Amino acid sequence: MPIRVRLDRLLLERRMSLTELADRVGVTIANLSILKTGKARAIRFSTLGALCRELDCQPGDLVIFEPGPPDDPDEDALQE
Amino acid sequence: MRALGPGSVSSFLKVILDVFHVVLWVSAAGVSIAIVGVLLLSFEPKLLGSHLTLDKLRIEGPWLGPIAAATLLAADLYLAGAIVIVDRLRRIFRTLIAGDPFHPDNVRRLRVIGGALAVLELGRYAVAAIAHMIFHGRLHVGGGVSLTTWFAVLVIVVLAEIFREGARLRSEAELTI
Repeated sequence: MPIRVRLDRLLLERRMSLTELADRVGVTIANLSILKTGKARAIRFSTLGALCRELDCQPGDLVIFEPGPPDDPDEDALQE
Repeated sequence: MRALGPGSVSSFLKVILDVFHVVLWVSAAGVSIAIVGVLLLSFEPKLLGSHLTLDKLRIEGPWLGPIAAATLLAADLYLAGAIVIVDRLRRIFRTLIAGDPFHPDNVRRLRVIGGALAVLELGRYAVAAIAHMIFHGRLHVGGGVSLTTWFAVLVIVVLAEIFREGARLRSEAELTI
């Protein structure tokens, strides 16, 4: 996917753990891990807003575009 | 009354399907035993009885055993198709009781149900054609083309596509943070 989430870098810069961020934002560690590892399909504005508030950054700092092959919208376990 | 989840209408229907599933298996086993019995007795036609009446056709003589076995085999195959359909319906209802109707496996299950329904209908035509050839039109099997069945097949195919879209949205929702 050409959209990259730079959560790990921001956490490192803020010296904040994933657990602490999860507590502050109100999102489970499992979901933040999905976001961090780039497996997420979408991010809600409310989650993005809370992340930006707690990390003191702009959405563009958290999410960047890197040219690459487009994501297949139907790629999942449904291919039978 | 709730449609999904434990203690819902789905739960009640699942119990009915479970009972129907067992009845179908018992019936299929009974018919299979009868096929073996008829084939064994065909070596001793006197034990099989004097004649067999199908529709208005009276069958007797050396062909009595094989024709009776073929008739039972057709019934057994029909029961096998019904078992496949009911089994997949049970699995779909299991996901409905769990409150997860758009489980990805339900797409395949619905396709199997639609396919089995179509195969059963085509099988009925094949049996009717074979019976017409063998008995020269003296035995009428089935009641012609069933538009209701083909309509049901099409509806199930469309439902499978709706479930596929539902499963895709479910997958996206799961990965939306």
